[in-house]
Amino acid sequence: MSQVEQAIADLQHAQVEVRAAAAEKLATAGSDAAPASVALVRACADDESVRTWAVAALEDLGPPPASTLAELKKLAEAPQPLVSYWAVTLIGRLGDDAATAVPTLAGVVRTAADLATRERAAWALGQMTSISPDGVAALKTAAEANEPRLARLAREALEKT
Amino acid sequence: MANSSSRRRGWSLGKLVFRLFLVVAALTFLGNPQWPVVGPAIQQLQTGVKYLQHQVGVRFAESTSTSAPPAPPPSDALPAQNPNVQTGTLNPVPAQNTGYQRPADKVYIASFNIQVFGESKLSKPDVVEILVQLVRQFDIVAIQEVRAQSDEILPRFLAAINANGARYQYLIGPRLGRTNSTEQYAFIYDSSRIEADPASVGTIADPNDLLHREPFVARFRPRTNNPDRAFTFWLVDMHTDPDEVKQEVDVLADVFQLMKGARPDEDDVILLGDLNASEKQLGRLGQLPGIGWVVSGVPTNTQKSKTYDNLIYDTSATREYTGRWGVVDIESIFGVSRDQALRVSDHLPVWAEFDVWEANLATNMAGSAALTR
Repeated sequence: MSQVEQAIADLQHAQVEVRAAAAEKLATAGSDAAPASVALVRACADDESVRTWAVAALEDLGPPPASTLAELKKLAEAPQPLVSYWAVTLIGRLGDDAATAVPTLAGVVRTAADLATRERAAWALGQMTSISPDGVAALKTAAEANEPRLARLAREALEKT
Repeated sequence: MANSSSRRRGWSLGKLVFRLFLVVAALTFLGNPQWPVVGPAIQQLQTGVKYLQHQVGVRFAESTSTSAPPAPPPSDALPAQNPNVQTGTLNPVPAQNTGYQRPADKVYIASFNIQVFGESKLSKPDVVEILVQLVRQFDIVAIQEVRAQSDEILPRFLAAINANGARYQYLIGPRLGRTNSTEQYAFIYDSSRIEADPASVGTIADPNDLLHREPFVARFRPRTNNPDRAFTFWLVDMHTDPDEVKQEVDVLADVFQLMKGARPDEDDVILLGDLNASEKQLGRLGQLPGIGWVVSGVPTNTQKSKTYDNLIYDTSATREYTGRWGVVDIESIFGVSRDQALRVSDHLPVWAEFDVWEANLATNMAGSAALTR
């Protein structure tokens, strides 16, 4: 078992100290931690000592494997804002490889309770060169929003389509 | 925490500048004697209590002397030769191992992203020891990624730094971020050699939420026996969002210009931090007239694969920069493995050397004369 595989397994460990150490290990792995993408997104709902390192790992791991897209789409609709935020961010990093996630992202833009997550979903749509009508409609609505950052990101995404 | 709801006001950069002007004008008339005003874009700083806990008694006009000469050296003077410092390489050697003393006529400024600097890192004595030795190399260290729920991280770290009798102090900014995972900037500085202006510390206001973690700024000056001639400068501490680097470095061009105009008596702005961008990826920031960067062609991450960290300055204004800089190679300096170095951080400290004397004295003196008591 590789170090990354071990760390992924340890993120499920019963002891929080083990989970935190695993997340910390992944945070030093850079893009090598990409296979742990889904596990790290889930860890964003864990204890603060785990969550902090999970976020650090997610910031640095770059695009996730395309094979994780289905799971990331589910996590994008998670009730925990930080989980949803990072799932959406990783989907955005996949760019056009995440085209099937447009309806999910559009839904997040429209209905997510957390503004930062809605903004990230608009940003994620902006990473794609072609967006389905459902996505365009969500972005057009967001472009008229009162929230300046959300509106700006939606406008920028629309300009790219 | 800068949450999303606090970012909804509809300010443009122009309005921001105008607001800065009003603040500057108001404070000038109110008459803060030594350091009239804080700039611009600087928010009314949480009133200096929570974030300036260790600023007690710092006043530029009461600076203590060093053995520095009373007048600035000629502009073509050679920099002091520090055997532990080489231009553009991975250095210097830890002071504890060499007994090296920083020269009185130079200022060493560093930037260091101490990845997730919090409880976990402070609980590792070997990591703390390396961090302590690193900080003691420099007069000022701009830190990124203080991430902790506790407010005791910096005080505890400072106690370790000062355990040998050193007199470092710190400034720390508010928790910043769009999610509940926030981080803080900090400046740690050697108060036996450096003064911070307590009236010139703050976080850049960003009402349109263009930046994920708005820069933390502070103005410093080396302690000399001739404070009127000492090099004064703004430091602008920044950590860009890795997913929005291109947009954020463009905005940093505006921040840089804003800080250039923050005070009529200050022409030196040094923007430093983890930019997640090399010198070739600085966008509009890298296209500002006369802009310069310290780190070039040398990786700054511990994996030695990317150049992320830098010090950015105006080459025509900040002629105090001696041209000497470096990236500290933690592995070779401390004789540790790559994995051990990664326990310290995924970034390496970057640094630059400056003269303690103001190079553009005529310009600055003209400004300060009108503002001094």
